[in-house]
Amino acid sequence: MALLEVRGLVKRFLGVTAVDQVDLAVEPGELVSLIGPNGSGKTTLFNCVTGYLAADHGRVLFRGRDLTHVAPHRVARLGVARTFQQVSVFPRLSALENLLVFLQQHQEEHTLARLIRTPRLRRLEVEAVERARRLLDLVGLTDKADAAAGSLSYGQRKLLAFAAALMPDPDLLLLDEPAAAVNPTMINQMKSHILALHRQGKTVLLVEHNMEVVMDISQRVVVLDHGQKIAEGSPDAIRRDARVIEAYFGR
Amino acid sequence: MRRASALAFVVMVVAAPWLVAAAVPRQQRYVLHVLIFTVLFAALALSYDLVVGHVGSLSLAHPAFFGVGAYAAAILATRARWPFLADLLAAVLAAAVVAALVGVPLFRLTEHAFAVGTLGLALVASIVANNWVEVTRGPLCITGIPKPVLGLPGGPTLAVTTLPGYYWLALAALAAVVLLYRRLTTFRLGRAFHAVRDNEPLAGAAGIDPLKYRLLAFTIGAALAGGVGALYVHYLSVMCPEEMTVALTVNLLVIVFLGGVGSLRGVLVGAVLFTALPEVLRLAPTWRLVIYGGLLLLVVVRSPEGIESLLRRASGARAGR
Repeated sequence: MALLEVRGLVKRFLGVTAVDQVDLAVEPGELVSLIGPNGSGKTTLFNCVTGYLAADHGRVLFRGRDLTHVAPHRVARLGVARTFQQVSVFPRLSALENLLVFLQQHQEEHTLARLIRTPRLRRLEVEAVERARRLLDLVGLTDKADAAAGSLSYGQRKLLAFAAALMPDPDLLLLDEPAAAVNPTMINQMKSHILALHRQGKTVLLVEHNMEVVMDISQRVVVLDHGQKIAEGSPDAIRRDARVIEAYFGR
Repeated sequence: MRRASALAFVVMVVAAPWLVAAAVPRQQRYVLHVLIFTVLFAALALSYDLVVGHVGSLSLAHPAFFGVGAYAAAILATRARWPFLADLLAAVLAAAVVAALVGVPLFRLTEHAFAVGTLGLALVASIVANNWVEVTRGPLCITGIPKPVLGLPGGPTLAVTTLPGYYWLALAALAAVVLLYRRLTTFRLGRAFHAVRDNEPLAGAAGIDPLKYRLLAFTIGAALAGGVGALYVHYLSVMCPEEMTVALTVNLLVIVFLGGVGSLRGVLVGAVLFTALPEVLRLAPTWRLVIYGGLLLLVVVRSPEGIESLLRRASGARAGR
C-alpha cells in the first residue's frame, strides 16, 4: 500500500483551477520530487495534503487514512511533517526551543496538566533536549542553540526549519523548496541531508526548482503544469520528455 | 547577591504598610489606598498580558470579564449573602465560562477583526451593566458589599477590615497570579503559546492546535480578571457600571504596552508606574494630566517596546562592562 495517495485532487481559487485532477502515490521509503513551472500548483498540492487548504474534490490518503478534511495540527501528529517555502521559524524562540516545540505535542498533550511539572514530563523534556541538540549538531547549528531564531541568517533559518521538521521523526517528510535562495555550499549540504534521510528509509516528497538537485537525488519525478500532472517517471525519462520540455521552455 | 536583593525587595513590599506609617503618618490611608489599587491593577494587567502578550491576540474585552466577576461577587455577596471565598470562586468561574462561550465565535475572527469584535463585546457588557437594572441596579450601583471574611465553613474566620489587611489580601492574590502567570508562560505551555503567537501556520505544522491554545489563554486571563473584579468590589464596597468601561481597556493597554508586553517584570513595572504616577502627580494638580501625557509620549518615543526593553538594555550594559 502506498504511504501517501492523492486521488483526483481538485483545488480551485475563484474560478482558477490550481490543482486539476491530480493523482499521486508515494511508496514507503521513496524519494519523489514534484516539479513544474511557477504557479503550476505544487505548493497548493502540499497545502491540500497537510490540511492547510480544503480540496474541492478528490481525496488524500495517508496509510489508507483519509486526510482530506483533517486540520494541520492533526495531520502533523499523524506523522506527516512539512516545511514552508518562505522560511518559517518562530523568531522569538531560541533555536533550541524551535526544535523542542516540534516534539512536545507528539510526546504528550495534557494541556493543563503541564502546569504541574511531573517527573515524567521532566524526563520527556530531557529526552527532547538531547534529540534537539543532536539535530542542531547535524545541521551545524550547535553554537546557535540559545540564539533567537530571528537573529539567524536566511540559510541558517532554513536549516533550522529542516531540523525542526525532523524532530518528531516523521514517517513522511514534505519539503517545499529546501534549496531555494541559498548558496551553493548550503545546497550541497541540503542535498546530502536529504539523501541521508532517504538512506535511513524515510519517505520524502520534495518540491524543488533546482533541477540539478532534483535530477541528482530523486528516484521518481512528477511534473505539474497548470495544475495538471503532465509526466511522471525516472529523472532520465523526465529530462527527455517532450511535454516537460515544452512546459519549461515553450514550443 | 541577586537573591539577597530580591529577598529585600519582597520584605519591603510586604512591610509596605509599616513603612508608609513611619514615613508619611498623616497620609497613611491615602498612600495605602493607592498601593492597593496598584497591586490590583498589576494582577489585572498580568491576566491581560496572558492574552495580548503570550498568544498575541489583541483583545479589548478585558473590562467585560472584570465586570462579570465584579457583578457576580457583588450580587452573590449582597443578595445571596454568600461568604467571600465562595463568591470569589463564583466570580472566577463566571468570567471563565463567559470567556469560553464568546471566545469560540470571536476567535473565528483574526487580528484587527478580532480586536473590533472584542471591543464590541466590551461595549455590550457595559450597556448590559447600565440597563439590566433588575440585576445590576444600573447606574444606582450595587452598594453595601461587605468586607471580605476569610475562612472555610466550620473553621476559624478572619475578617479583613483594615487597610493594611486589605493590602496583604491583594498582595496574596497578586502572588497567586504571578505564580500562575509564570507557570503558564514558561516550559511547554509557554512554548506552545509563543509558537501560536509568533507563527500560527508553523505552529500547526508542529502539531499545536492554535485555536485551543488561544482559547485557553483567553479563558484563564478572563478567569483571573473576574477574580480581581471580586477583590475590587469587596474593597470599594460598591460596584457601578463605570468601573467596566473602555477607559479600563486604555489603562490596561498603557500598562502592558508601555511596561513591556509579554514580560512579567515589564508589566509589573508598568502597573506601578501608571497606577501610582497619576496619584503622585496630584502634588501638581493643574499640570497633572499634562505631565502624565508628556511622560507617556516620552516612553513611546524613547522606547516603543516598553520600559522593559530599557531595563534589559541597562542590565545588559552593566553585565557587559
